Amino acid sequence: MIDGVVSVLASFTKPEQIGTTPQSVLWMLPLTAAIAVVYKATKVHRVVAKPFFKETALLFGSIVAFMAVAALILSAVAWFVNEKLPGLMGY
Amino acid sequence: MTARNAKEKGSLIQWGIVGLLAWVVPGGGYWILGDRRRATVVGLTIVATFVLGLYVGSIGVVDPVNARYWYAAQIMTSPVVFWVGRCASAGAYTVYGRPYEIGQIYTSIAGLLNLLCIINALYIAHVREAHAQEDSA
Repeated sequence: MIDGVVSVLASFTKPEQIGTTPQSVLWMLPLTAAIAVVYKATKVHRVVAKPFFKETALLFGSIVAFMAVAALILSAVAWFVNEKLPGLMGY
Repeated sequence: MTARNAKEKGSLIQWGIVGLLAWVVPGGGYWILGDRRRATVVGLTIVATFVLGLYVGSIGVVDPVNARYWYAAQIMTSPVVFWVGRCASAGAYTVYGRPYEIGQIYTSIAGLLNLLCIINALYIAHVREAHAQEDSA
């Protein structure tokens, strides 16, 4: 029992191994879910399970979709600047 | 002291209790206002976000010395963060790179979400009191 508690506490004194990989972007999902839940909880008149879940899921989806579109546009701009622009400028 | 002054003083004390409780325990402001379901949802979500941040980056992400602005946001989660900051400020829990960034963002966002809930709980307390005054007038 005590060993279990100590090992749980010890896991908070050592960081997890997370590399700078494309997969690390997925860490935004739990945070986005938390933001959507708390924001909706402050906005709805009464917290009723089904409509609350529906509205939260909609907000979560909207945020993720917007961020995906923003990422695509930024990737396209980065690709153009790095790959195409030097050729057009004669470098 | 007039009756109006006494009433205003009573309101300020009530708002102070709501604000303080909302800061001490995430969701506590809603709980004292009788909105238990909202309090549970908000409290669990904020605490889970903060704990996940600490798990990813270790307690080293709460750094009152070298990351003061992040700490200001983290402290909004609960006064318990003072204690975490004191434990971590000894410098024994250094953390770098992506875990540091993710942990810091999670814990700071948890604090800012709690700040939003503190303000919202105070607003609800104010609106309820205004409605009560209108009804009694």
